Amino acid sequence: MALRGNLEAAMSSEEVDHTADRAFRIRGRNLAELLENAAHAIVALDGKPPAGECVIQRVIEVEGSDRETLLVNWLNEILYLEQAHHEFYDRFLLSDVNENHLRAQLHGRQLDRSVTSIKAVTFHNLEVKETPEGFEATIVVDV
Amino acid sequence: MLSPHNFVRVAEFVWEIPATYRDDMRVPARLYADEELLNAALTDDSIVQLVNTATLPGIIQHAIAMPDIHQGYGFPIGGVVATRLPHGVISPGGVGYDINCGVRLLVSQATVEEIHPFLEQIASALYANCPSGVGAKGSLRLTNTELDEVLHEGARWMLGKGYARKEDLDHTEEFGRIPGADAAYVSEHAHERGRGQLGTLGAGNHFIEVDRIAEVYDHAIAARLNIYQDNVAVQIHCGSRGLGHQVCEDYVSRFQKTVHDYGITLPDRELVCVPFDSEEGQEYFRAMACAANFAFANRQLLAHLIRQSFEQVLAGKIRDFNLHQVYDIAHNMAKIEEHQVDGHDLRLCVHRKGATRAFGPGSAVLPDDLRDVGQPVLIPGSMGTASYVLTGTTGAMQQTFGSTCHGAGRVMSRAKAKKVVRGTDLRQQLKSRGIVVRAGSMSGLAEEAPAAYKDVSRVVEVVHKAGIAKKIVRLEPIAVIKG
Repeated sequence: MALRGNLEAAMSSEEVDHTADRAFRIRGRNLAELLENAAHAIVALDGKPPAGECVIQRVIEVEGSDRETLLVNWLNEILYLEQAHHEFYDRFLLSDVNENHLRAQLHGRQLDRSVTSIKAVTFHNLEVKETPEGFEATIVVDV
Repeated sequence: MLSPHNFVRVAEFVWEIPATYRDDMRVPARLYADEELLNAALTDDSIVQLVNTATLPGIIQHAIAMPDIHQGYGFPIGGVVATRLPHGVISPGGVGYDINCGVRLLVSQATVEEIHPFLEQIASALYANCPSGVGAKGSLRLTNTELDEVLHEGARWMLGKGYARKEDLDHTEEFGRIPGADAAYVSEHAHERGRGQLGTLGAGNHFIEVDRIAEVYDHAIAARLNIYQDNVAVQIHCGSRGLGHQVCEDYVSRFQKTVHDYGITLPDRELVCVPFDSEEGQEYFRAMACAANFAFANRQLLAHLIRQSFEQVLAGKIRDFNLHQVYDIAHNMAKIEEHQVDGHDLRLCVHRKGATRAFGPGSAVLPDDLRDVGQPVLIPGSMGTASYVLTGTTGAMQQTFGSTCHGAGRVMSRAKAKKVVRGTDLRQQLKSRGIVVRAGSMSGLAEEAPAAYKDVSRVVEVVHKAGIAKKIVRLEPIAVIKG
């Protein structure tokens, strides 16, 4: 289980132009890193919430029928937890990652209301590609 | 790369890509546009997305796009696809995440001149009483049983609670309740996300707007709708909030595997679909109906809160501040409808994603008092510009499965809009034109700047001249409330 800085994770994603919604190209040296970088990109969309101590910790397991479904289910589970419990996460510690399953510790803060404006992460033209450097995917987000 | 040369002009405002354009197309794809809107649609992936929808199993006649088409995910926004039942498919991505996003229009017999001295107070009351913004929580605290009643009953649930009038339900698409809803097919996650959100506006492009009836094109029909020049109107634009988003997520994710079980191959994973009559298709339809009913109930409760706000500010100050409902329409939905195709009466699943039902005069599903007029069609424009009321036409029944456009249509990304427009500047510009703004987020305001959208008047002119809706009145904003 590795912990990387938010800055490093943020540099592994870039926004791609999309007329109505938001789109991001995400990279990672391996699948776990791609999943972690994607989580940072998604939560960064809503800007930085008020500062505070890391007081929330959740452990979740996510499954998917392939790596694209795993990626979308993982990001949508984060959005669900943020909205349903009014929380914000800024650290994601992934373990037991394979193409159909992941386990993750989410660290963050309790807020007085949800701050995410994202409706959902979509499967639009989604493909998790293997590249010489690792993995890459472009995610379209409905906002 | 598609260009105008790939289209055949089949009527003055109708452009067709033949089914031979790509091997996987089952039917031709049609776009309603003038030349400028056609060229605008070719600047992003909108038309590729339209062509992709022409590959869906069971699709009949044409894949259709409206003049407000813009790039979405899976379907283009502004798309209409009808599949033949019972075996044609239903696609959750073809409905979208904001299931039954729609528009409600209320009108008053009060004039703008009468309420103008109180406009700032009205805007403040609306902003205070109608929770908006991301994560906004409503004032209703529903038990699990009550939430399921809302999912089954839609806006009708509000009638028993004093939040609706019978005439509101008569003037709501499907009378405020989609039949077939079954909350057993709505996940716990979806229940959780929706529980506190009834009666909330949300963020993004959702809004409440106070308008002036700026121009009447058809006085006879406008009078039948109780709409008169210079009177006050209020529009509500919102949908099924987190509950609808979660229903769509659940089924798009689940169908990633199911679609292979049915041997369906698609050009985009967001288009996943299953036969309507399959067990999985029926489960999605029952869940979608729940989300649609939640959205009808949501707009109904907001209408109640808006009426309360008017009363709070105007009681004792002006004589008549009652708000009468013109209509409530959905523009993200899959509906089971009967249509005549090539002389045969067929039962279809009509997907409208960013498109509005526009049933013409004589339609049996319209309320008695509107049957000879046709269904009111509500087209909100971009913030600070104009909106329109139209009516459905026989032409729409013949050409587009009773469908027309839904708004202006974006041309600029949200990120770019925020780079070129400052929210505070925009608010100042609107103020200088006499438009009062209440917004929770200046960056959210910038994202919805008029420059990010097509000219709604041009879009409406195309559907009017193409005969797929009839222009009745134009509205101009005097106050905008956004999350």
